[in-house]
Amino acid sequence: MVHEEVQMFPTMGLTLGSEERETPLDDLGNVVALYQPRVFRFLLATLRDRDAAETLTQETFLRAWSARDSFREDCSLATWLIRIALNLARDHTRTGRFRFWKRVSGSAVDVAEVAALVSTRECTAEERLIAQQQVANVWQTVAKLSSRQRSIFLLRFIEEMEIPEIAEITGLPLGTVKSHLYRALAIIREEHNYAEQSAKPHAIAHNRTSENATTKETQ
Amino acid sequence: MTPELVHQPQADHGEGHLTGEQFGELLSRPAEAVGAETTPAEVHLQTCEACATELASLRGVITLFRDASKAYAEEELRGIRPFELPRRRVFQHAFVQATWLVAAAMFLVALLPLQVLRRHAARTQAALASAAASVTTNTAQSDEALLDDVNREVSSSVPDSMQALDDPSDDATVADSESSNATSNQGKD
Repeated sequence: MVHEEVQMFPTMGLTLGSEERETPLDDLGNVVALYQPRVFRFLLATLRDRDAAETLTQETFLRAWSARDSFREDCSLATWLIRIALNLARDHTRTGRFRFWKRVSGSAVDVAEVAALVSTRECTAEERLIAQQQVANVWQTVAKLSSRQRSIFLLRFIEEMEIPEIAEITGLPLGTVKSHLYRALAIIREEHNYAEQSAKPHAIAHNRTSENATTKETQ
Repeated sequence: MTPELVHQPQADHGEGHLTGEQFGELLSRPAEAVGAETTPAEVHLQTCEACATELASLRGVITLFRDASKAYAEEELRGIRPFELPRRRVFQHAFVQATWLVAAAMFLVALLPLQVLRRHAARTQAALASAAASVTTNTAQSDEALLDDVNREVSSSVPDSMQALDDPSDDATVADSESSNATSNQGKD
């Protein structure tokens, strides 16, 4: 039935019956505009496949909109959306089909593309290359983490969420979240230190030596 | 992999460096928050250059990773198609409603002739019933007349014993007697 009083989605011209309970999701145009980058970024970093990330981003908003009546506002909308995205990603990666398509898909994220976008604050080309190598190293190490460690690491360090918020999203106790996060960081630290030691550039070593010398002199 | 397996270059400098857990705790806190508290790990950082350098290096790498990931996602986001699924769902919602309306209309349209037929049948039945009732009434009336006749005959007065019977077939009897008389007279002759 078409109701007489209707609300309009500002950016999409969509209508909803007014007799339903008002939720933040009713204004879907704004919600998508606000949170789509964040949800997409998280899914892209998690799945490392842009097609899958795009599909699941749309699915996240669709699910959220369909279940908008169940959103009780006991957490932020971002938390709720990321929780949906995380569950979708978890379900998606469990399937063998995903693993197969990830292997053969042309939409898989190339680590070099990510590393190429390292901030250009580095002064010299050499330092920039080192930074790119470091980012590529972290990107590859994150792929080696267990799915839970990876999710928690990405939520903390890409989405910059606080640990209680991550616990709420993942549904894990606070201590378990910390434990997974510390293990993930330990693995990344190990890989980082190993890479630094094995391929320490001459220039950086030279710089550090001179820095150390300066420090000793001041002491 | 557990933190115990973590390769720690500072271990060469001797004992008393930060544990994996302490590193994790310090890394997972915002950079601005480090130094605000006086935990043993932070006190150690102020005195141990190796740990401080390693923490800063790790923090820097993670920051680079975050910035690169965000920049990459932003670039990819520009290429994705606009969000359209809710429109489809709303359309589907309206479509479902319209389908129900059409189905209801079709049901009513199908029901209307049936109702007309039913009314017609009811009228026919009523006419038949009234006709049957009138027939029944006529039959009852004729039956009552017959019973009245019978009653009338039965209740009529009985003649005296010597009174000649009032035979409805008098003519026949007279004819028979006359013929018998004639026969006897012929015999006498």
